[in-house]
Amino acid sequence: MLGFWRSSYSLFLLISLVPYVSAGHSFENTAIVRTVELGGSVVHVTTTYAVKALEDDSKIYTIALGEREHDSTSWLVAKIKGESTPLSVEERESNGNGPQLYDIKLPSPLMSGRTTNIVVETAQTHVTYPYPEEASQKDGQSLKYEADLLVLSPYDTAVQRTKIRSPFPQIHSYTEPEVEYTQDAPVTKSGATLTYGPYKNVPGSANARFAAEKQQRIAVHFSYDQPVLEITKLERAAEVSHWGANLNIQDNIHLRNAGPRLKGHFSRLEQQSQAFFQKPAPHMLPGLTLLLPAGIHDVYFYDIVGNVSTSKLRTAPSVPKGSQSNQFSVLELKPRYPLMGGWNYSFTLGWDSPLADSAGWDRERGKWVVGVPIMTTIPGTVVNEEELKIILPEGATNIEFFEPFPAIETELSTHITYLDTTGRPTLTFSYKNLTDKHSGIIYVAYNVPFSAHLKKPIAVATALMGLFVLAFVWKRVDTRIQKQK
Amino acid sequence: MLLLHFLALFALPLCLAAVPKDAQSIQEELVKLARANNGVIKLDDRTYDMLTSPKRTWSAAVQLTALDPRRRCAPCKDFDPSFKEVGRAWSGVAAEQRDSHFFATLDFDHAMTVFQKLGIQSAPIVHVYPAADGPRKPANGRTAPSTYDFSFGFEAGPLAEQLSHHTPVPIPYKAPFNWSRWGGIAASGVILIAALRFVGPILQWKWTWALGTVLTSLVMTSGYMFTRIRGAPWTGGNGQWIAPGYQNQFGQETQVVAMIYGLLASAFLMLTVVTPYTSSPSRQKAQVYLWSIVIFIMYSVLLSLFRVKNKGYPFKLLL
Amino acid sequence: MTATTAYQVPANLSPTTVANTSSLLRIVALALISGAAIASRLFAVINFESIIHEFDPWFNYRATKVLASEGFYAFWNWFDPTAWYPLGRVVGGTIYPGLMATSGVIYSALRAVHLPVDIRNICVLLAPGFSALTAWATYMFTKEMKDESAGLLAAAFIGIVPGYISRSVAGSYDNEAIAIFLLMFTFFAWIKAMKTGSAFFGTIAALFYFYMVAAWGGYAFITNMIPLHALALILMGRYSSRLYVGYSSWYAVGTLASMQVPFVGFQPVRTSEHMAALGVFGLLQIIAFAELVRSHVSSKQFQTLLFASVIGLGLLGTAAIVGLTYKGWIAPWTGRFYSLWDTGYAKKYIPIIASVSEHQPTAWPSFFMDLQFLIFLFPAGVILCFKQLRDEHVFVIIYAIVASYFAGVMVRLMLTLTPVVCVTAAIAFSTLLDTYLNPEEPEAIDEAPKPEASTSAVAPDTSSAPTKKQKKAAPPPAGSTLAELVTKAPGTSKRKTGVFGLDTRLLVVANAIGMLVFFVWHCTWVTSNAYSSPSVVLASSNPDGSQHIIDDFREAYYWLRQNTAEDAVVMSWWDYGYQIAGMADRPTLVDNNTWNNTHIATVGKAMSSSEEVAYPILRKHDVDYVLVIFGGLIGYSGDDINKFLWMVRIAQGVWPDEIQEPNYFTRTGEYRVDDQAPQTMKDSLMYKMSYYRFAELFGGNQPTDRVRGQQVPKTGPTLDYLDEAFTSENWIVRIYQVKKEDPLGRDLKTANAFEQGKKRKRTKPSPRRKAIA
Repeated sequence: MLGFWRSSYSLFLLISLVPYVSAGHSFENTAIVRTVELGGSVVHVTTTYAVKALEDDSKIYTIALGEREHDSTSWLVAKIKGESTPLSVEERESNGNGPQLYDIKLPSPLMSGRTTNIVVETAQTHVTYPYPEEASQKDGQSLKYEADLLVLSPYDTAVQRTKIRSPFPQIHSYTEPEVEYTQDAPVTKSGATLTYGPYKNVPGSANARFAAEKQQRIAVHFSYDQPVLEITKLERAAEVSHWGANLNIQDNIHLRNAGPRLKGHFSRLEQQSQAFFQKPAPHMLPGLTLLLPAGIHDVYFYDIVGNVSTSKLRTAPSVPKGSQSNQFSVLELKPRYPLMGGWNYSFTLGWDSPLADSAGWDRERGKWVVGVPIMTTIPGTVVNEEELKIILPEGATNIEFFEPFPAIETELSTHITYLDTTGRPTLTFSYKNLTDKHSGIIYVAYNVPFSAHLKKPIAVATALMGLFVLAFVWKRVDTRIQKQK
Repeated sequence: MLLLHFLALFALPLCLAAVPKDAQSIQEELVKLARANNGVIKLDDRTYDMLTSPKRTWSAAVQLTALDPRRRCAPCKDFDPSFKEVGRAWSGVAAEQRDSHFFATLDFDHAMTVFQKLGIQSAPIVHVYPAADGPRKPANGRTAPSTYDFSFGFEAGPLAEQLSHHTPVPIPYKAPFNWSRWGGIAASGVILIAALRFVGPILQWKWTWALGTVLTSLVMTSGYMFTRIRGAPWTGGNGQWIAPGYQNQFGQETQVVAMIYGLLASAFLMLTVVTPYTSSPSRQKAQVYLWSIVIFIMYSVLLSLFRVKNKGYPFKLLL
Repeated sequence: MTATTAYQVPANLSPTTVANTSSLLRIVALALISGAAIASRLFAVINFESIIHEFDPWFNYRATKVLASEGFYAFWNWFDPTAWYPLGRVVGGTIYPGLMATSGVIYSALRAVHLPVDIRNICVLLAPGFSALTAWATYMFTKEMKDESAGLLAAAFIGIVPGYISRSVAGSYDNEAIAIFLLMFTFFAWIKAMKTGSAFFGTIAALFYFYMVAAWGGYAFITNMIPLHALALILMGRYSSRLYVGYSSWYAVGTLASMQVPFVGFQPVRTSEHMAALGVFGLLQIIAFAELVRSHVSSKQFQTLLFASVIGLGLLGTAAIVGLTYKGWIAPWTGRFYSLWDTGYAKKYIPIIASVSEHQPTAWPSFFMDLQFLIFLFPAGVILCFKQLRDEHVFVIIYAIVASYFAGVMVRLMLTLTPVVCVTAAIAFSTLLDTYLNPEEPEAIDEAPKPEASTSAVAPDTSSAPTKKQKKAAPPPAGSTLAELVTKAPGTSKRKTGVFGLDTRLLVVANAIGMLVFFVWHCTWVTSNAYSSPSVVLASSNPDGSQHIIDDFREAYYWLRQNTAEDAVVMSWWDYGYQIAGMADRPTLVDNNTWNNTHIATVGKAMSSSEEVAYPILRKHDVDYVLVIFGGLIGYSGDDINKFLWMVRIAQGVWPDEIQEPNYFTRTGEYRVDDQAPQTMKDSLMYKMSYYRFAELFGGNQPTDRVRGQQVPKTGPTLDYLDEAFTSENWIVRIYQVKKEDPLGRDLKTANAFEQGKKRKRTKPSPRRKAIA
């Protein structure tokens, strides 16, 4: 029913907006500046729209992303320049082909002629790929980034330009397109920055025709001196225990070096001499440094074949709740072997932390509230898939949760572990393509009746009692057939 | 008669065609030599070169040894008889096979040059030369001599077995029937049965068995089997009787250790079984003290012995 | 009541109180002993981690995982295609499933009560757990021999004696872990059956015998010990209906049960190892029949006739068995057993068995290391057994002889000796304590007053607790044993025997306690130093003394697991087969279950012959990776170069004219890897793979092999048919990839030479390009 309503509503919305889209009269873009921060598996794009309203109280500003761009975009937020509160963004039902449109609701309707600056930040994943695809242990590492040349918008644009910044100075090559919207050089390079544009008087371009005819692809080939990492699968299980006053978090991480595949073979001699001369291969990952929450203890790091003894942990004392001091326990972990391009390493990392640090009693709601971080961010690393399990104490009732951004799917199940009788309610969230932008906290609120707390001891006690009774009977009852005198 | 001669005359060129003359004559000479010294040729520099000539159509097993007492080569003396045995056994086979494989002995004192040429410092060594020419040339064409692997031991049996890989027909070697051994066994059996009536009581007396049992277990637990299987020497050179190393021991250690064990055990038995039966307090007291001290001292001796074997053993009592 | 006692004991205790106290103390003592037994086996877990040790356990662990995950029947007919590639291995039919079944049952039982314990932890802790049971079984057994106090001593001994710990530390998940418990319990049940003549205990013995058969190949020891005992009793004229019932019930049920194990099948009636049991069974039937007739018939001549016929029948039976053996209906002794008698046999004919280190004969230090002061109490105990020669003592005596011989022949059989040593030593020791703790002086006439049993209570630390407890638990039965002692006094004089004075008592007891304490120290030291390292992980110590873990094996295995194709075939020497299968999860050519000599010899040949010869072999067995262990860099002595000669030997056994051991020695008969090494050695695949690019590591200095202590050539070997794929941090594990045939059909050597030439030209500019960056 609700689903039906939604769809019908959006249908209506689509119809109602068609004239705007085609004509795009309500706004015009005085300027669009897009800044691309090149990176490994994650690329951050910031687009600033300087908008001018053409009609009175127009409050819906629409932006457009090209198909490829839309597919690779895993995170999108829009703000008014200089403000921190994000604006609500509504993704339009798309008809498959052509650019994808988003409706941004402005905080206050604009009178005609008034201007404002809208900043749209997006994080794109898997938009760069190693080129050349293979590199030997001696070679460096270069990536290629591909993107659309023009920023699409349903409205006419006076001037737009695209800045592409590379984190490392060397840019091997880049596309020099033919553009009709400018007379002078379509692209200029200064140091590690490429500037496409300015391009003047670009008409409303958020339609399939424009994308097909005017839009072009540009590619940047740049050298990147850090290993390109991706986590192909991350399984996090957070287990809340009121008895132990403990929150246990365990990550099952499948790490992969997405850099150029190792050409030829791995030579330990090379690697050791490189390490000796302090010139490690840029695409080799010797180790990771993770920021774990403060106040954790009993950190364990193992894989299928057992404990990995090559990790160092510096714990910080747990911070009092509410205080904004961001202290971390630093874990330096080394995989069993240096991770060369294309190599995998899957391992399990877990720790205990005092429950008080992340959970509390919510008075007005009359519930326990526990906060579980969605993931431990490894800078510049994308998480292709995550499955997050939150295991609540046995017998927890009327559960509700609040997530920073919607999960792909959520389900409630029960999980039976040590000495459970009825099992523990478990929330499972699944995500895709998470970046460092996604490091949010899921809050779960629930009640645990006192009786639930007693379940375990009672169960154990009865079991032991049973044993004793058995022993007693066994001792006392005479099972012999004939009594000997 | 005459005819026969003619035939021989005609046959001659054919033979010439078959094998180069020298080779053939060499072979005949070798056969003679072999027959002279029942199956084993005594080599010197000249005959060695003949035997191992690159044109040889025969194979040969050469024992390089140093039998002269001045050389003091004990293994050579141990090995020589079995080699002779095998040689003799080979001389028993049918002529045509027999003459295509030779057994020979090359003594250091008769052919130093050969030894130098081969650069051999140790003896005995058995080189097996496959045929380098003619029908018996090995398929893989390898004509370099191979060396007999002494890990099979010095006995004639394995030697014959191994060498049979290289001879045209297996060496018909049979271990000589050991009359004395079997005779002895049989005799002892007879004697036993005869004497059963007299030894019967002894056999039925349990302490005989007790003694046997205890001695066996003592000997076994002090590493007798090790010395036997590994053929460990009675004592090391330069009169040391404790073998260095944890996984190693000499024959004499077995005895000493067994004795220590035995002494300790008997001391315990004394305390347990004998002492309580002594009627006079003073003598009993003396015994108790004596045996306790014996135990303590022997135990510390044992420990010090063990510390010698196992460096890094932290505990000690007296010494 | 004027008994002259050496020290005061409360005389006004009711017997029930004493009985209860002593039984309570006994339970407490047993509990503490179990605790000590388990605790002393956890060094490995504490020093390292909860990990499976050694080699064979890795297979057992893998099999157990299959059992746990796929259920019993899947495990039962599990065909493992990854082992012995390409042959594969029918696992269900070629193993003793007892171990896996045990941990499988435990696993599912814990699951059932919602205790989801990791299967690995169950496997790791199985051995310690069972050692506690062993202690209990030994207690029961020794109780039958002497009394509870001796039993407790024996339990304590076996609980912490290194000879047994060596095979049952946490993580050594091998058949022996449970086998010793089964052994002792079967023996206990047998003794019980033989003493009481109860078919019930006979059946119990049979059932545990079955369990033993399902668990360990060493079951043949039981199969021959029990008949031997029975036979000895018969020869001693101690035949009794009890013996008949006990033996018959054991043999009938036990044999039928044991034949259910597929790996055993019809062996009990087809092989010589089992013939003794069968023969004695027959003999017993005949004798029983004779006894029956004798009891009914009176005529003298008839009885003699009968006797004669019995003998005749017995001889006939043996003759029949012998005949069948010659006819081949009954298989003769298998090599492994035969090599126990003819000690030279193995080295000559089954080098694979001879090559295993634990099949070497035992030197005396190992005996002392493993049994310490028990080893010389052992004969004393045997003598005491002779002193009161009851039927069960005959068993112990036979066991003592046989086991001490076996232990002398093979290091690993020390395991079977240990229990009997503990038992006899306990008998000797507790007799001593009985004598010297017994408070009453010889002249005393009245019965022994019960000494109060809870004086001198000591707060024990776990390891030394049992032994102390012994001393306390010993007194209660002292009275009874004293009575025994008196009645057994050979001098038939009425005079009571005993010890005068207190000082003598104190001296002896102090001496004894000293020995016990020392024993505890010894055991702790040996266990923690010698027997608690999981050869998978090596420990060295940093300059600052802290422990440094060398984890190369797992590093390499895990690399294989994560970064090679699922079905990539790995060739290595058989020692590492199980570990590769277990940790790297890749198919292997040969592994530690050495059932196919030829296959192993093939690997040996590949390793010991030159690249050109080896390459076709590798390709034929579609080997993708070759794995060698090389200790030369950090001085790990258990590496393949040191095992190399065995490879050569085993290969030589099959290809005598291609591989010859002497070619791998220098002219002077030395085994060298440096410049003087013979060409055959230098060309061998093993040598090349071990030292490939090793010299470059020393940057121009003289490279040294730290294991052999020799200086290897400055210019290392080159490889044409293999590529270095991975080398672990300390170079212990080196993995090479086998090249595919050259696409242009050149032979790889020339192809390689060509490549080299090209590469040299091409690599010139690369530094320049780097310079820009």
